[in-house]
Amino acid sequence: MKKHRLLISAILLALLQIGFLSFIIAGRAAVLRDGQEVLLKVEPVDPRDLLRGDYVRLGYDISNIPVSMIGNVPSGAQWIEAGPVFVRVKKDGDGIWKMVSASLYEPPSTPPGDDEIDIRGMVDDGRGLGRIDTLNVEYGIERFYLPEGEGLAIERDMRVRSFNIVAAIAGDGSAQIKALMDGDTMLFREPLY
Amino acid sequence: MASYGSRVRQDILRWTELGLIDKAAADALRRDVEANEQKSLSFGLVLAIMAALLFGAAILLVIAANWEAFPRLLRVGVLFAIILATYVGGALLKLRGNSATAEGVWLIGAAAFGGSIALIGQMYHLSGDETDAVLTWCAGTALAAAALRSGPLTVAAVGLAACWLFLEGVALWSETRVPQSFILVAAGLWLLSYWTASRASRNLLLLSLIFYATLLAVHHDMLIIPAILALVSAALFAIAVYAPDAVERIARIDGNMPVHALIGFLTGMTIIQFDLIDGTAPLVAAALVGFAGIAAAVVLGGRESRGLRWIAYLGFSCQMAFVYVVTVGTMLGTAGLFLASGLALGLVALVIIRVERRMNDAALPQGGAA
Repeated sequence: MKKHRLLISAILLALLQIGFLSFIIAGRAAVLRDGQEVLLKVEPVDPRDLLRGDYVRLGYDISNIPVSMIGNVPSGAQWIEAGPVFVRVKKDGDGIWKMVSASLYEPPSTPPGDDEIDIRGMVDDGRGLGRIDTLNVEYGIERFYLPEGEGLAIERDMRVRSFNIVAAIAGDGSAQIKALMDGDTMLFREPLY
Repeated sequence: MASYGSRVRQDILRWTELGLIDKAAADALRRDVEANEQKSLSFGLVLAIMAALLFGAAILLVIAANWEAFPRLLRVGVLFAIILATYVGGALLKLRGNSATAEGVWLIGAAAFGGSIALIGQMYHLSGDETDAVLTWCAGTALAAAALRSGPLTVAAVGLAACWLFLEGVALWSETRVPQSFILVAAGLWLLSYWTASRASRNLLLLSLIFYATLLAVHHDMLIIPAILALVSAALFAIAVYAPDAVERIARIDGNMPVHALIGFLTGMTIIQFDLIDGTAPLVAAALVGFAGIAAAVVLGGRESRGLRWIAYLGFSCQMAFVYVVTVGTMLGTAGLFLASGLALGLVALVIIRVERRMNDAALPQGGAA
């Protein structure tokens, strides 16, 4: 009996861990499959230090948002707590989605219009509003993993040309990278699995 | 460790020849020594665990290198297969009495689980939540330890929890958050360590709690936190010295509680002194409390534990060096500094030698009486 118990726990444990991992994969794949596609402009984060190990660090034009764009900062507020922020982007003439407004902590009260969508990001550090007029927002898509050896060339090109990211936006606003674009050329497109 | 068993066996032989114990007692003692020897860390287990750590590292490195030769679904599949094969295979090995190998194989399984989390992060270009990933890995490993009743897996889970604490509290200095939930994680792992009978985990947990208090103190920069750490440690020390059996029954850490309490006390006092570094009088007062605590620790608990004595000496030397550099060091020229350092070091050596001699003298009559 004791024999069986250890074997059964081992099998259950393995299935539980594998199930948990599969569940995460399925969730991520669902975002890629069903999410709304948006094209975001990449801006180099730190031109000297883009390549970290096996991934490129990415920044976006929506990574720094002017405080004046945030609709619901109380007037006279001195301090902004760390927390989620919802950034509304709208498709521009050149196909790139640009920020139109933002809302701190909760989704904006008005639903997004045509060719608009809310992306969920995080303000990581609380900060005083005295001297700053922009907030740094992270979306969880600040990294692009590359096959070994291909990072350097991309890092070099990124300094001279403009790169874009195709991101898939889930219903709750979380973003996930779908493809890396060098201008109009697609460099990498991510399969679902 | 192995030499202890043979030493005791020689002693038992001598005691029987001297007529101190009869043959029945000698046999009973021998059986007890043998039974306990098997429980202690065997060489085989150590080797198996080292091998498992190497395999685990290999798995993680393969993931980290973004190994593009195989399609990612195949990579995920391989990792899943490793998870299933190691947990079940380890269980089969354990049932055949191959415990050491089983523990090693299970550790590989836990590494594969962590590797899968990293691989998913890489597949979907996730950024910014390494700390969550480590915590998830910790939870998965703790679950494995509970399901398989494995001591080494419990230690691994504690190590991952400490790693998580480090990543949250130290690695990103900008606006770090010391995770309050660490207390809950530590409490859960502590309970788990009873189920898996893992003393090493509990020792490690006590150390990581001291580390947690240190992070809190550094982060909030309030004198009250290290003061509480020092006081709680002193109280724990007193309880552990006056009611060693009760403490050991609850904590079950091989009587190491006084050692941990002393480490906690010294950590607290060190932080207090760094906070008070600007004023000489409070600094000296704090240093005196530190010296008094070390002396009390050696007097009360030093006889039973060599480890405690060495921690005390280490604390004493650091304390001396610290007070000395802050107060006297700045006033002297280079030559004077060396001279005074020599004197101070000599003083430390003298104190340690005297204490050790007294401990040995005190221990001798006990042995003679038996």
